[in-house]
Amino acid sequence: MDEELLELQRQFESAQQAKSSIRLSERNVVELVQKLQHLHIIDFDLLHTVSGKEYITPDQLRVEIVSEIKKLGRVSLIDLADSVGVDLYHVEKQAQVVVANDSLLMLINGEIVSDWYWNNVCEEINDRLQECSQIALAEIAAQYQVGSELLVTVLEPRIGSLIKGRLEGGQLYTPAYVARVNAMVRGAARGITVPMNLSALWSSLQILLQEMDGASGVAVEGSFFQSMFNGLVKEGQVLGSVRAGVHWTPSVFAIAQKECVDSFFSQNSVVSYEALHKLGITQPTQFLQSRYPEGIPLVTLFVHPSTVDMLDAAVEDVIERGSWIDSLSVLPASFVSQDAHKLLSLCPSIQTALKVNKALILGDSYVFSTSFVKDLYERMEKDLDTISLSGLSDEFHVNKVAKSGQETSSTPDFNETSSESGSTKQAADKGSRKKKGKSNTNTRTADNSSDNQDPVPTKSKKNQRKSKGTSSSHGPDPKSNKIKEESLGIFSEEELCQRLTELVPDFEDQGVDPETVLVPLAGHLRPMLLNAWNERKKAAFTDNTQKIKRVLDNLQKKLDESSLNIQLYEKGLDLFDDNPTTSVLLHRHLLKTTAAPMVDMLLSKLDMLNKLRNGIDVEDSDNAESISLSSGDRIALAKKFEGPLSIKGNAVVEALEGKHVEAYMTALRAFADECGLTVKKLDKKLERTLLHSYRKDLSAQVSAEADPVAILPKVVSLLYIQFYGRALQAPGRAISVAISKLKDKLDDSAYKILEEYHAATVTLLTLISAATGDEEDCTSDRTLSKKELLERLMPALKGLVSQ
Amino acid sequence: MEGWDPTTKSTLTQIPLLTVKAGPRDGAVWTQRLKEEYKALIAYTSMNKSKDNDWFRISAANPEGTRWTGKCWYVHNLLKYEFDLQFDIPVTYPATAPELELPQLDGKTHKMYRGGKICLTVHFKPLWAKNSPRFGIAHALCLGLAPWLAAEIPILVDSGMIKHKDDVVSTSES
Repeated sequence: MDEELLELQRQFESAQQAKSSIRLSERNVVELVQKLQHLHIIDFDLLHTVSGKEYITPDQLRVEIVSEIKKLGRVSLIDLADSVGVDLYHVEKQAQVVVANDSLLMLINGEIVSDWYWNNVCEEINDRLQECSQIALAEIAAQYQVGSELLVTVLEPRIGSLIKGRLEGGQLYTPAYVARVNAMVRGAARGITVPMNLSALWSSLQILLQEMDGASGVAVEGSFFQSMFNGLVKEGQVLGSVRAGVHWTPSVFAIAQKECVDSFFSQNSVVSYEALHKLGITQPTQFLQSRYPEGIPLVTLFVHPSTVDMLDAAVEDVIERGSWIDSLSVLPASFVSQDAHKLLSLCPSIQTALKVNKALILGDSYVFSTSFVKDLYERMEKDLDTISLSGLSDEFHVNKVAKSGQETSSTPDFNETSSESGSTKQAADKGSRKKKGKSNTNTRTADNSSDNQDPVPTKSKKNQRKSKGTSSSHGPDPKSNKIKEESLGIFSEEELCQRLTELVPDFEDQGVDPETVLVPLAGHLRPMLLNAWNERKKAAFTDNTQKIKRVLDNLQKKLDESSLNIQLYEKGLDLFDDNPTTSVLLHRHLLKTTAAPMVDMLLSKLDMLNKLRNGIDVEDSDNAESISLSSGDRIALAKKFEGPLSIKGNAVVEALEGKHVEAYMTALRAFADECGLTVKKLDKKLERTLLHSYRKDLSAQVSAEADPVAILPKVVSLLYIQFYGRALQAPGRAISVAISKLKDKLDDSAYKILEEYHAATVTLLTLISAATGDEEDCTSDRTLSKKELLERLMPALKGLVSQ
Repeated sequence: MEGWDPTTKSTLTQIPLLTVKAGPRDGAVWTQRLKEEYKALIAYTSMNKSKDNDWFRISAANPEGTRWTGKCWYVHNLLKYEFDLQFDIPVTYPATAPELELPQLDGKTHKMYRGGKICLTVHFKPLWAKNSPRFGIAHALCLGLAPWLAAEIPILVDSGMIKHKDDVVSTSES
């Protein structure tokens, strides 16, 4: 038998004899474990794996977790759950226990990280930092997949030990790098000599760094520079001051600034704010005041008190000499007028002079001695004498009307006056139209309206200029302003300015600006001149009132006289009531001869009165009788009166054109009432005296009369007075009728003489009217012969009356 | 290889295959073959033991190793039923599979030829033929007897054709 086979048999035998391993099914095992738990033989938590085929105790789980952590130093719980094969819930729970028990572990964002892991990380970071000299935290955080905040908390305790560098604004820097940047900052800061915004500086440094580091360069934050800069400032390596954290003013600049201001101010004793602005001082006034407490801040300048003394001396001199001065001429060129004004107000001499009214400041910088101004005023007032009474008033009045036209609503009185006078002046300007007829009503209104419209632009222009030029001296109380406005036209500023330059040639010589000085000066003088002017006007006005009184008295007297006369004559007309044609003739004659001059006198006098009331100087025309007006002129004058007076005046003028003396008389009475005059009624006594005087007058005339033609009506009138006791005014044509009326009263011889004389007169008049002027004509011979006849008859005629 | 359960199949593949083609009459070559048979059986047995699936004991009944005897058993309802096992190596072996006999069950089931030779499934013979001469005794046991026991014993026990020896004893005692 084969040895090997036997051996195999034995082996097979032993294999069959060997004890077989005992196996339990999973189900059985699960049941067994449950049974054990049930019996409290297993008295702790038993966990099972994710597969459900294994049981694990918490202790074992912890051990496994720890061993997992030890592999890398950092493990995520999710990975842990996978690698251990236990549900995440249990892993988290046990991980917390593990971390709580070990102070070197931490559980962050679902990861367990051990302290030595961080140490390793820091070492790595340090290695890299030494290579690159700077690393951004964000970069590290991304690399290690941790939050940057966490990274900072981890890195901070290790900086200086494990990491040799500096953490600044989310960046890690090596000391060398920091030193380099620090050097850059120091260099830049020391290089700056003028104030600068630091952030601008940092941005330029950043660009510089970027260029140096190339593409790999990490942007260095401004705050990094800033912190370094602050450190440098604190150490005193860089001198200067920082305002609001970013405005850097190097001390070298501040010193230079101060020195500059000091030297300028000490040399010139004045420094302008503009110059300080140029030096970079934003609040020059405060700056200067803090440095030179004794200095005086002006509008654009800062000035040393010595300047005030200088100016004061100059001004005092001027005031004493009674002259004037432009303070700018004494002051440095950098002064503007406002400064000068302010400075003047500080001068003691000016203050005292102003107090006692010895000086006047005009146009900010000009000082006038009051005596100088007074002198000027007096000289100009002298001009006024010549101006006011002559044609200048005319010239001025045109302007005045314009002015008052504007003021219509506020000052009706003045308006009335000025427009009235203005229109008359206007009329005078335009021509002599008014001289003769006192202007008719139609043209008057037209004038008036055009007056109101035309000069408006001139006025407004003037106003503008005025407000511009005299704004400084403008704005007194409204009353005086009104007065000024009222008579603005009288002395226009231009004229005054012109006058001033004439009076004081210095003004022109010294190149004085008319806008700044002359206009205010004129403005100053003008109210005074206007006052003077107004006073003159007032005086003239009082003159006028006396004149008015006189004229009125005169008028009344004349009116009485003529009205009585006309009434007397009117009575005479009654005789002819039976003869209508003659009556009409007589009425007309009476109106034309007696009433017309009366009306003319009345109208012209009233017109004159109006003018006088308005203060216009009218030459006292006593030769009123000589005035004779056409009917058109009468209407114009009547229209000129106001309201009812005008209507009544018109009525009178119309009645004058009519045929009835009675109508005229009623109209006249109404008109006279309106004027405040009275028309006397004729009473018996008065009639007799009048008649008597008339008769006497007539007889005197008759006896003195040499003209054969003119004597007839007078004789007839005288006869009428004798026989009828009536005064008769008869035209030539009515004479025959009048004579025939006398037939009954006269004896035949006398009547015959009268008739004869009348016939001869008529023939003579016909001959004269028919005469061609040819001397050789036979008619002239006849005329002569008739005349002779008449002359012969005249004594007889005279004898008729003289009885 | 269909027709067998996965456990049987996996087990079968783990049994070492044989290489020598020799029958009982081939003299020395048969010895070689026998050695391989032993190695396969050892492997199979140890495998069964490790899986806690030990189910037979056999040994060669003659020095030539052409007759084998032993026991096989099956656990059903926590009771172990044990039967005698015997078989001869046919002359045409390995072309022909050995005929496994369970003499105690002769006449108790249809799945058996006269003399207690078990009826194998239709799949067995073609498979054996295909794998000849690489299959040996161990394969025959694994493929033939083990499935047969697993199929037949529960039926036989339930039908009361066979009884556990304890029961037999207890009934005889009672």
